[in-house]
Amino acid sequence: MESVREADFTLDLRGESCPYPVIYTLEALDGMKPGELLQVITDCPGSFRNVPEEAVAHGYTLARSPVKNGQEYLFYILA
Amino acid sequence: MVKPVFQRYWNPYIVLVAAGLLSALYFGLTGTVWAVTGEFTRLGGEVLQVLGVDVSGWQYYQMIKLEGSTWSRPDGWIVWGMFIGALMMVLLSNSFKIRLPQHKRRYVQGFVGGIIAGFGARLALGCNLAAFFTGVPQFSFHSWIFIVATGVGTFFGAKLTRMPWWKGKPTLVRGAVRGSDVKVRVIQPYLGAVIALVYLGFVGYLFSTGQGLLGLGALFGLAFGILIERGQVCFTSAFRDLFLVGRSLMAKAIVIGMAASSVITFVVISVYGLPPITQVAALSTLVGGGLFGLGIVMASGCETGMMYRLMEGQVLFLPVFVGNVIGATVLAYGWDNLGIYDALVKSGEKINLIDTVGPLGAILGTLAMLGILYALTVYREKNYHRNFGLKGGIA
Repeated sequence: MESVREADFTLDLRGESCPYPVIYTLEALDGMKPGELLQVITDCPGSFRNVPEEAVAHGYTLARSPVKNGQEYLFYILA
Repeated sequence: MVKPVFQRYWNPYIVLVAAGLLSALYFGLTGTVWAVTGEFTRLGGEVLQVLGVDVSGWQYYQMIKLEGSTWSRPDGWIVWGMFIGALMMVLLSNSFKIRLPQHKRRYVQGFVGGIIAGFGARLALGCNLAAFFTGVPQFSFHSWIFIVATGVGTFFGAKLTRMPWWKGKPTLVRGAVRGSDVKVRVIQPYLGAVIALVYLGFVGYLFSTGQGLLGLGALFGLAFGILIERGQVCFTSAFRDLFLVGRSLMAKAIVIGMAASSVITFVVISVYGLPPITQVAALSTLVGGGLFGLGIVMASGCETGMMYRLMEGQVLFLPVFVGNVIGATVLAYGWDNLGIYDALVKSGEKINLIDTVGPLGAILGTLAMLGILYALTVYREKNYHRNFGLKGGIA
């Protein structure tokens, strides 16, 4: 397990339905400096898959494995 | 065994192939297809009747047969079975949660989009099921027009979604935020199990009392509901996400599912001599498909996808559902009363590929068309990522 690093920014998307979690996540990452860490909190089941997959497909890396927290997921993505 | 089935979502390819095979089987058993919006239109008619409006003279209701109540129609049980199957899986996987959009504008977008999608689907005589996923395997040419039109509609929908005033701004805050507190007592799976047992008992009752068609509708509806929820099957995202972020997973899975369904349906038609279900291909198909594509992206979900999302507790899809029924009912009214039939439908005709190009041509042509769709999907994905790499920003 990687050492847990505090996120630089958090995108709280609880309640938002697809496709907005993906759009918001990609736009937030786009506006951040490389190496900064974004935490995404989302509870739209569709986004559990498309947010991490599209972040990776767009060239970003997951800083640590996603955390399932009840009915929501927490993602940690490096810009 | 229990964990992978209930805790993880299933592979969309497997889910859509299973849905395609089941819909072919359902057709073989009943001579009808897996569809939902026709029943939404009848629901609207029933509500109007309760309110004292006489809809018996409306041509559209004569065409789609508004008889009995939703509880006495196999099509009705397909819809309720889907809701219950989805709810069951949501509860068994402990994933129900009331989810309220942060942006209040989503409710308006959902409602308006729902109306447009409901209206468009019924104008074209089928949504992404009867005019798409189960329409193509019936070799009904109207579904070919519908796919193209829906693609165009979603393209403009995706453009709209990108507008700042439409999508709104998210709440980006500095630093970390803690997740919600998680309840220690887990009761959802027990509720899900109870619903499953009661519903299966009810299906058994339908079969044992000679109401086999209702039982089949209830059973297949349940299976479709389970599949769309576990596979997170989203027809809206299939086109939209290709345009938005170059995502191709759902589009490819749907094409594969339709190919499997086409082959099995072809066998059913040839072996049992069942007549394929053909709808009118006309200007209405083109216009309806376009409106449908635009509406589902505005609403963030189509008539099928909204069903399991509503069961997950995504409140946004309540106005979408109501909008779908209103849109479908408005179309039913306008069909003869506003001259829609004369203007857009009358000149069309029912074209089935089996009649026009023969059985072999129909299946080969369908598979070739699906192959082209698949290739276009892959091309769009590659093209998107090449542009993204060049521009270094979201296309």
